[in-house]
Amino acid sequence: MNYKLLHIFRNTPFGRETFLQSLSFCKTISASPYVYIPKSDKFLMYFNNDTVQVDLDHSYLTSPDTAKKHAEILFAEMGIKPLFYEPKNFTASSLPDISTNFDYLCCPRSVSDISSKIGLGHIGPRVRRIIKHATFPVLITSPVFKPWKSITVLFGGSENAVKALKLGLKIAMSSGLPLEIYTLLEKQNETHYKSLIEKEELTEPVNQLSQKWHYYKKNDFDTMLYDIPHDSLIVLGAYGHGIMKDILLGSKMEHIQSTLTNNLLIPGPNSSVTLL
Amino acid sequence: MKLSIIELSQHLGVATNTIERWIKQGKLPVSPKGVNYQFHLRDLEKWASKNNINLNLKKNGNRKEKESNIPLATAVQNGGIYFDIQGHDIKSVLNACLEKISDIPDDFKIDLFDRLLEREKALSTGVGNGIAIPHPREPLVYLNTPIVSACFLNTPVDYKAIDNQPVSILFILLCPSLNMHLHLLSALSFCLRDNMFVNFLKSRPDPNTLIEKITILQKTNLS
Amino acid sequence: MFSIKKWYKILYHKLFHLDDRLLLILAGSVTGICSGLAAVALRLSLESVIEWLHPYRHYGWAFILPAIGAMLSSLYLEKIAREGAGHGVPEVIYSVSRYGGLLRFRSSFSRLISSFLTIGSGGSAGPEAPVVMSGSSIGSNIAKFLSLNDRQRITLVGCGTAGAIASIFNAPIAGLVFAIEVILGEWKFVNIIPIAIAAVAGAEVSQAIIPEQVVFNHQPFQVGFSDILPSLGLAMATAIISVIFTKILRLSGKLAKITPFPLWVRAFIGGSIVGLIAIFMPVVLGEGYHSIQAMISETFSMGLFLAFAAVFAKIFSTAMTLGWGGSGGIFAPCLVIGSLTGIVFHRALFALFPTIGFASEGAYALLGMTGLVSGVMQAPLTGIFLIVEITGGYETILPLIVVSSISSTMSHYIEPASFYFKELIERGQFLRPGTDARILSDLNINELIETDYVKLSENMVFRNFIDILKTSEQHFFPVVEDETGEYKGIIQISSIRRYALNPGMYDMIFLNQIMDTKVLTASQENDLQEVLDIMDINNMAIIPVVENDQFIGMISKTRILDLYRRELMMQTSIH
Repeated sequence: MNYKLLHIFRNTPFGRETFLQSLSFCKTISASPYVYIPKSDKFLMYFNNDTVQVDLDHSYLTSPDTAKKHAEILFAEMGIKPLFYEPKNFTASSLPDISTNFDYLCCPRSVSDISSKIGLGHIGPRVRRIIKHATFPVLITSPVFKPWKSITVLFGGSENAVKALKLGLKIAMSSGLPLEIYTLLEKQNETHYKSLIEKEELTEPVNQLSQKWHYYKKNDFDTMLYDIPHDSLIVLGAYGHGIMKDILLGSKMEHIQSTLTNNLLIPGPNSSVTLL
Repeated sequence: MKLSIIELSQHLGVATNTIERWIKQGKLPVSPKGVNYQFHLRDLEKWASKNNINLNLKKNGNRKEKESNIPLATAVQNGGIYFDIQGHDIKSVLNACLEKISDIPDDFKIDLFDRLLEREKALSTGVGNGIAIPHPREPLVYLNTPIVSACFLNTPVDYKAIDNQPVSILFILLCPSLNMHLHLLSALSFCLRDNMFVNFLKSRPDPNTLIEKITILQKTNLS
Repeated sequence: MFSIKKWYKILYHKLFHLDDRLLLILAGSVTGICSGLAAVALRLSLESVIEWLHPYRHYGWAFILPAIGAMLSSLYLEKIAREGAGHGVPEVIYSVSRYGGLLRFRSSFSRLISSFLTIGSGGSAGPEAPVVMSGSSIGSNIAKFLSLNDRQRITLVGCGTAGAIASIFNAPIAGLVFAIEVILGEWKFVNIIPIAIAAVAGAEVSQAIIPEQVVFNHQPFQVGFSDILPSLGLAMATAIISVIFTKILRLSGKLAKITPFPLWVRAFIGGSIVGLIAIFMPVVLGEGYHSIQAMISETFSMGLFLAFAAVFAKIFSTAMTLGWGGSGGIFAPCLVIGSLTGIVFHRALFALFPTIGFASEGAYALLGMTGLVSGVMQAPLTGIFLIVEITGGYETILPLIVVSSISSTMSHYIEPASFYFKELIERGQFLRPGTDARILSDLNINELIETDYVKLSENMVFRNFIDILKTSEQHFFPVVEDETGEYKGIIQISSIRRYALNPGMYDMIFLNQIMDTKVLTASQENDLQEVLDIMDINNMAIIPVVENDQFIGMISKTRILDLYRRELMMQTSIH
């Protein structure tokens, strides 16, 4: 399969880190990255039941004449054929519609806010809305380019966690990197999770691809987070039920994203993940 | 009856993403089931008749299934191998052969004999090297499986073959359908093109080795 | 909020499943009320700000007021709401035809505020388009909340539009007709009932809250047969004025884009020009409802030549406001220009034939309005029903139909695309349901690709290929590179016949020697329209799809016809 990742290029040193992360992600799972170099400071994405306007800050528009060249240099550095995405439709003359027909989207933790906020514990509101409505998983990069050597799935047993697990398996398959599963035992015991996997007919791929399944007691959440390898891609599901969770992505997820510096790959509640 | 998106897309002959788009646009009656969707056949039919749309839902049953082709060796096994056929001309040889083949119901033998003769009159089935493949032009619907009977003649007979050689071996080819007929005919002529095989036939081998040899030859043909 | 959604879910499954009429009627009336409220809010705030600014109008520096207003409005739209330019109605039509009516939530209020700033300060623009935009956005967001599908969402967008227009003019049928004629573009049974109810709800809201400030009070007119002939002449005049108006609007927009100034400076320049014109001719200011009322009730004081100048002053100042960065619509300016044209025409007529008993000046003002609405928006029915409802009777219907049909036909002849559609047509995005363009844009390339093709290595010997050929039903074989799987070319059975029948060649050639590398390919990024164009120009019946050097599949004309027909059936089905 030919997977496509959309990257919104920011022609700044920080944007370069994000872009390197995208490229390395694509290289590892052999997907093709499409780069969109913004020409106006906003764009629209039309999803199935919502439209999200993404407002970019001015750093995305810095020196547009060098942007393409910079991107091409980075492409060449990684040995990937450069591909650029040009929006075809415009809602208004300065408002391009970006296709949602991609398999992954790469986002920094915050799309539009000032760079002092780019750090841990802050995922911008628009990134949240994209995650919530996207039909594809969103890759949220670490602040600085950091290649990952393993995959970690945080499996909590919910519907979205199953999606995350499938996604983790998919990435493990296409990258050949080791996969480990981490589960925090809250109310259920280990067998509950095993049977859940069996119900989803995932036992076989899990046994084949995952090296170890770590279980932690309820109070050991922070221990678990520390035990996750620092050079690992974390795949976890976002929650999206109810009014409160429209704004927050679930307390666990908030805690994780504010504690871990790793790259996060998040399938949203509207995304669909198939193993093949 | 309930249908999933994939099943409906097969019925309608469109891609699954077309169905998904139609659901999104609200063009199909659909019931959400968790994250997925399913269709009730009754709703679909009601909707289709209201909008005068042909859904092709029923047609599914008679979709053409590919006929499984019987390998030549099996057909020969079914047809049997007969030695010492008496006779001095085409008519008597064919008659004697038909007498021996047990798969044909007795009522049809006279008719079949006429058909075989008619075919020979049109164009001789002697393919050369002393071998002929008598067969009727129309498929025989009363047969369950295709049969190929190998018949070794006592005395070679003048068969008006293309190389004018007298014929001593007959492969009588009888099939219930035209498709199988063509398949077996092509398989048989492939074997007969092989000179080694023809010489092997002339040595009047015993039935088991013959079938074994055909199986091996068939494999090289397919690979 | 939680329990609303829960109850709704229960109701949805028990009641609304399959037959969504009741749901749409309920949601539509809510939408109508909401957009009616939005319209009333804008009307009330405009009234009060105009009142508040009135004493300052006499000062010489007052010309700066529209400039400041337009500047603030463009700054608000650009920096705070970050809405993106455009006058609203085309965006709604675009979203309805391409994205099932999905609109941003911010649109439901941003245009109200920006047009309030523009019009309240004196800019020449109409409050209708902003209200339509916010009404349809309210409808779209209600649909989003209820997780409705595209068809239902489009109906609710229509409801929002109808409610807004109905509320602002107190004319429910005009609202219904506008929503269907201009925004949705299709008359469907399932749409009409909810939209009609929303329109009535919108009109009722404005009647209940501001009965005395309804734009046009019902006023019966006496129009006789002697007016038929002059109305022909009036129709011609309005058609010409419509075309001039449309051209100048677009020209000024283009002109503004060439200027090197930032958006807010442009808006300031445009606004101050309007302010300067207004010193001599205050009729150009604002949305002009008051002058329209004056003209209908025959208390309008300008003379023949002054009124004639006012027509062009209004056209010019509207172009300066909207083209240079102000925010608002063209509906109200159309009405003002139309009634001015009607009055000019009537006075000229009276001067030429003082003895013949023509209908009153007010009646001609109304006819002029119909003429302009039909000509500029090319929405003849909206024009007719708006005036019928304003006059509250059918006495004027005959000349109305004459004026409206002639005016729309003539302006359509000169300028085939109406003001709302022009931009969309230029971008190739005028996609009315059931049209060729719409079907082609709906059908995605990915839905048409047939992917079950066996790919062959370029280093395969021809003999092996012949063996594959024996059992395959494929007519086309893509040839790829061994390691990377890169697409190299394609083999058509029809073009290799002479080699295939020559066994001597079997071991002599490799596939990359006989494959066709010049066949044009399509990409998944292409629109179906583009793919069809490639196929038509090069006379191809089937085209390979190659994405990122990888062979994906083939698209054949047979398959396109098959799916095109299905899509057409789906789009034109009655529901």
